[in-house]
Amino acid sequence: MRIGEIVESTSVQFVSESLELGRPPALGSLLKVEVSHESHLYGVVCYGETRSLDPGRPAVRRSTDEVYDDRVYHENPQLAHVLRTEFTCLTVGAMEGGVVLQGLPPQPPPLHFSVRSCNAEESTRFTEDLYYFRLLLGASGPVPSEQLLASHVRRVYRERGTDEDWLRVAAHEIAQLLKQDYDRLVAVLYGIEQGSGPSSRGASTP
Amino acid sequence: MPLKLGLLGEQIAQMATASAADDRRRSLERARQLMASVDAAELRAKLEERTVRLPWLVAVPGGSVAGTRAPAPCPQDFSVVAADGSFIAPDRHSPVRFYVINAGHVVLTYGQHPSAVLDSSPRLYFRDDDLYLDPRVRTVPVEGNRLSAKMCLAEVRALWEGSELVRDVSFVAVRDGSLITWGLQSEDPSFVQQQFLGEFLGYLDRFLERGIPVVSYISYPGARDMINSLRVWLCPRQRVDCENCPSSEDSRFCRTLAGISDRELFGFLAEGERSDVFGSRSAILDRYGTHRIEFFYMSVGGEVVRLEAPRWVTNGPKMLDLVQSLIYDQCLRSAIHPPYPPALQEAHEQAVISGADRRVIEVMIQRALADKGLVYLESAKAQSKRRRAV
Repeated sequence: MRIGEIVESTSVQFVSESLELGRPPALGSLLKVEVSHESHLYGVVCYGETRSLDPGRPAVRRSTDEVYDDRVYHENPQLAHVLRTEFTCLTVGAMEGGVVLQGLPPQPPPLHFSVRSCNAEESTRFTEDLYYFRLLLGASGPVPSEQLLASHVRRVYRERGTDEDWLRVAAHEIAQLLKQDYDRLVAVLYGIEQGSGPSSRGASTP
Repeated sequence: MPLKLGLLGEQIAQMATASAADDRRRSLERARQLMASVDAAELRAKLEERTVRLPWLVAVPGGSVAGTRAPAPCPQDFSVVAADGSFIAPDRHSPVRFYVINAGHVVLTYGQHPSAVLDSSPRLYFRDDDLYLDPRVRTVPVEGNRLSAKMCLAEVRALWEGSELVRDVSFVAVRDGSLITWGLQSEDPSFVQQQFLGEFLGYLDRFLERGIPVVSYISYPGARDMINSLRVWLCPRQRVDCENCPSSEDSRFCRTLAGISDRELFGFLAEGERSDVFGSRSAILDRYGTHRIEFFYMSVGGEVVRLEAPRWVTNGPKMLDLVQSLIYDQCLRSAIHPPYPPALQEAHEQAVISGADRRVIEVMIQRALADKGLVYLESAKAQSKRRRAV
């Protein structure tokens, strides 16, 4: 399903304008860009933002005692046209000729191409290998990399049908990657456990 | 070199002292008392019986002079159509002569099914027929007032196109600025005025046929039409001759009045209220026929604005009420204070040509000319302003 259009493209990340105002894809989602039939590029959502279309024209308060929340949009129909929602994806891999490659692809995705959500099968296939966790931990955007990785792991765990084995392997991989940095490791594992609900377990035991 | 602000500071302080004098407030109060005492029929007769044209624009009262009217409730479902425009004027320092007009239009629909249409229609004018009103001899170029008139036409066209999108709800069509094309007054009546006014009035015909109230909105108006009418009311002479006016209490008050604007005079209007409707004596309106423009003032909360509309709008109580209530509703929805109608604000945003846009257009033209083997060379003066070397 198309959810955005690329408006900035670099070797390490791409920014897309969301097709739906105010609802960027969830933090940590795995998304794809179909560059051609044989070539797909994958990214993980690392940031979302809704703001004025024109940087020189900031959003201002419009609510009153009677009109607030959804009613603000109802009573100001132009807002849907002058606001934009953007989200940023870290590029984490590609698929060339049916083979999944993790890491940065040689070319950034083309501008104005569609960004699409991945179905469960695609998500499962890409996350079989966890090498790309290194790219998420190296992220330097506004969202702390530990929170980004925790959000991503939680989403994939659910998309894979609460795959306990995968979660155990993922936790082990994270523990390996952060074995020299206890504070960061705890931040990631705590983040995974917090979002996984009362039934969560396993991830809290490195 | 940087501007010597120190030299300006003292002059700014002097200006502020002169502007904030209590005398001014007392004069304003006295002007309002005078307006309240004026007999509208007598004033109208005095303005119309003059055989010598007045040196100022005056407001001719239709009914009373100091009457007010509160806004009627808005319909449940309604739309506001708005248009605005901007242009890139022909540049004498450019090797190719052209101009660009960008008209923005907006349709905002409120009520049970809110929606918005925001669009613009830019156009490049470069043919001889576009650049000169007399392309064979090229003595009447489209620039200055004539270019403003062209933009006014583009805006009214955009307003009509926006109006055609509205179905089944009450609405008003609003343009920013004046509907009185006073800039054409100094132009040749049988040639220039006819070219512009013919098409302009043709669009007003369409609005009239479809019964769409069309109105223009002037924020922070500087007009003194009503003030000037009060000066005529005070003046005992048949022919206004201020240079030779004998000194008297009335003449001193008359000179004080000359420094007050209608905007200040109607500052007594409560929020949402409008004034009576007045006719304008602008000479160009003699050519408007059934579309002769009338105007009124309205407090939108924080500002008194001037609204102008053809006589068939101001003479129809339902249309006039709809205009007042919808314009006031727009101002209540404004995100800024003093308020400004959101529909006009968005139309402006659609129309505006930024400095960056202007540079992009220039580069596009340079590239297109280069493709044809033509070198785009600006004047040395234009280049010197860009490359400010020392």
